[in-house]
Amino acid sequence: MNPLLAAASTALLHNALIVGAMLFALGLVGILTRRNLIVMFLCAELMLQGISVSLVAWSRHHGDFGGQVLVIFVLTVAACEAAVALVFVLQAFARTGRLDAAAWQGLREATLARTVDHALPASDASPPQWPRLSTAGVLPPGADHDSLEREHV
Amino acid sequence: MQNVSPATLLVLVPLLPLAGAVLTLLLGRRLKSQAHLPAIAGIAAAAAVAVVLLLGTATQVGRPDGVHAEPVRPVEMISTLWQWATVEAAYAPPAGSAAAIPGTAVGGGTAGAARAFTIPVALRLDPLTATLLTIITCIGLVVAVYSIGYMHHDPGYPRFFAVFSLFVFSMSMLVAASNFLIVYVFWEAVGACSYLLIGFWFTKPEAARAAKKAFLVNRVGDFGLAIATFLLWMTYGTLDFHDTLSADGTILPGILGQTRLADPGGIVGGAIGTAICLCLLLAACGKSAQLPLHVWLPDAMEGPTPASALIHAATMVTAGIYLVARSAPLFMACPDALTAVSIVGATTALVAALIATVQNDLKRVLAYSTISQLGYMFASLGTGTLLGFTAAIFHLVTHAFFKALLFLGAGSVMHSMGNVIDMRRFGGLRRIMPVTAATFLVGAVALAGVAPFSGFFSKDEILASLHAKGWPDAHGEHHDAAPSSHAKRGRSSFSPVHFAPGATTAGEKELRPLFNTPETFRVLFWMALVTAGLTAFYTFRAVFMTFTGPTRVPDEAGHHAHESPPVMAVPLMILAVPSAVAGWWLFSTQWLSHFLSATPSFTAPSVAATAAPHAFHMDLAIQGSLAAAIGIVIAAIGHLGRRSDGPQMERFLGPLQTLFANRFYIDQLYAGLIVRPLEGLAVVAALFDRYVIDGLVNSVAHLPLALGGLVRRLQGGLLQRYALAGVMGVLTIVLALAWRLRG
Repeated sequence: MNPLLAAASTALLHNALIVGAMLFALGLVGILTRRNLIVMFLCAELMLQGISVSLVAWSRHHGDFGGQVLVIFVLTVAACEAAVALVFVLQAFARTGRLDAAAWQGLREATLARTVDHALPASDASPPQWPRLSTAGVLPPGADHDSLEREHV
Repeated sequence: MQNVSPATLLVLVPLLPLAGAVLTLLLGRRLKSQAHLPAIAGIAAAAAVAVVLLLGTATQVGRPDGVHAEPVRPVEMISTLWQWATVEAAYAPPAGSAAAIPGTAVGGGTAGAARAFTIPVALRLDPLTATLLTIITCIGLVVAVYSIGYMHHDPGYPRFFAVFSLFVFSMSMLVAASNFLIVYVFWEAVGACSYLLIGFWFTKPEAARAAKKAFLVNRVGDFGLAIATFLLWMTYGTLDFHDTLSADGTILPGILGQTRLADPGGIVGGAIGTAICLCLLLAACGKSAQLPLHVWLPDAMEGPTPASALIHAATMVTAGIYLVARSAPLFMACPDALTAVSIVGATTALVAALIATVQNDLKRVLAYSTISQLGYMFASLGTGTLLGFTAAIFHLVTHAFFKALLFLGAGSVMHSMGNVIDMRRFGGLRRIMPVTAATFLVGAVALAGVAPFSGFFSKDEILASLHAKGWPDAHGEHHDAAPSSHAKRGRSSFSPVHFAPGATTAGEKELRPLFNTPETFRVLFWMALVTAGLTAFYTFRAVFMTFTGPTRVPDEAGHHAHESPPVMAVPLMILAVPSAVAGWWLFSTQWLSHFLSATPSFTAPSVAATAAPHAFHMDLAIQGSLAAAIGIVIAAIGHLGRRSDGPQMERFLGPLQTLFANRFYIDQLYAGLIVRPLEGLAVVAALFDRYVIDGLVNSVAHLPLALGGLVRRLQGGLLQRYALAGVMGVLTIVLALAWRLRG
């Protein structure tokens, strides 16, 4: 490899690693600071992608496709994981109407008090108001009107 | 009989009741209402063997010659079963005195040599043991048969017979053992059986308390026996009663062995001897319920009545009498200890009789009467004459019969009256229970000392023995005996065996006994005579209150106030026979006193020298009978034919009645001086345990809890914290790796 190419390759590696590190750091900060479960989940994905970028960069630098293969695996696994995690998050929301991680402290020691950094917004006792659209098309046979206006997703 | 050795028979006497006890324990639940069979079979067989042994021993002793011309030959047989323990060279005599162990010089050449500590499990047979074995097993058999009816339907039926049989075993071993340590073991064993039977109905709080009280009070006496055993070992270097043949052919003299008894200097007197004797007396006071340790016996009446009859009237409480009689040669060397026995006995007799006069509980009257009669026996033992010793055993025998009879009669009344025993609540029972009334009356006249009945003769002998010490001139038999015993005495440190006016004028510089004087015995004699009158009074007061007057039955009896079934009535009739005639027969033939005089302990020169020709003292008999008659007449004036819940005789006693009814406040004294302070100590100990000991233990448990509390805060349940912890952990690992790989 000629020196110019080598220098360009090294520069590319550096840039890619910087981007990967930034992604990772953003994800880390996000997961530590945000309380929205979906956002935290996105942040975790962000960290994963940061690592993936680094892997691709190193793979290219060494001319070894192993790193890229690993990234494909990571993406596959991340997709599955995302599917499962999102189900949990959605179910949690369906039960409580909340996506706040601070609302889920049930696994703490019984003697400890609930951690409150900012007071939780009062749980809205009334069912959330969903947008009501006019019915499109014909009602399915046997379905009454109420079942179409259920409160939760 | 020819091919069975006496040694085998002797072992059978305790063994058969033990087998009965074990069988009853194992099969009791299966046998149910027949659970008495093994126990009664065992005791009956033991009684038969004991009678055979008694007759065999009597043949060896021979017939009384009537004049006591020559000393009676000691009769004893030792059967060593096995060596329980052997410690080589356990006893080294003090340096510088070859004959440190008295009697060693006579016994053989082992003086000054170290001795082994051996505990042979040895049984002995001599007249004293044979007599007591017969009494224990025969009365045990009668009472056991009675118990079939009395304990019928009791849920603890098998347990009763198992413990009962075990008691007969223990008591037989106690009187047959030939070693102070074995005696101590069975001394405790009879105490344990007594505890189990007093607390037989252990769900009843009073019974449980009474059992505990009996056990604890007896501990005080047992302590005395333990100390006495230690002192005996230190003094004599052996604990055996009998002589043993050592391996090198020399004779090791036992404490009460014939070698030592034949040696005039064999028994240690002086301070150490007195200490031994007083410790033995303490032990006897505990077991035989003498002042000041008598408080347990009245409470022991909480047990089943048959147990009271056998254990707390006829046999176990006489263990103290046996111990003192067996140790007679030891006491003879310590006149003051001997007199202490008499003083304790006579005082107890009088005090207990006074208390008995105001008791309203039939069994309590009999309990105090037992204490009083045991006191009589002690008073007699303390005279330190052959007559006194044999009279005590004589009274023991007759008392066993008539007191067992009285207790069984009281049990019969109790059985019929629905467990009511307060004499004020029933009366005129002679119409309902004629057999019980008649047999009870026989026992009562025997106890009161009315002329031809057995108590009269034994009581007369006791009075005679006290009288002979109080007025030696009137009897005159000691004048020739005393100087000869002085001449034989080798050691000048010994006190005179008994005080006699002719003895101390011989110019010897001997320690004069403090209390062993005729004056003391004169006082004791009058105390005994007053007691005789009181005995007749309280006995007939009980008879009149229970069996005469208008017929009244408590509500508890219901409709079945009836005569007891034959299984209970027949034992009463059987016991009534010896209660009536045994005294006359044994007195007129002098069979028992002659028989007993062949006991090795009584053939010691110090005892045998006091032998007096047998005589019937008409003046004493008249005095005793007069006292009894006065007592009966007063009882009749107060109670004959009257309602038992009416005004009582004791209203004439005034403040004394309060004193007697409160038992001279002895129980209250113990409560104030011992029980309450100990309870206070127990409370303090409980608090110390709860707060200091438990606090220490709990603090050990609190330590992990506190450590856990420190890390527990990490488990906050907040997702971000967990994530932070994870990040920190990864960061730590990364930094550590970087540090390792830094170059």
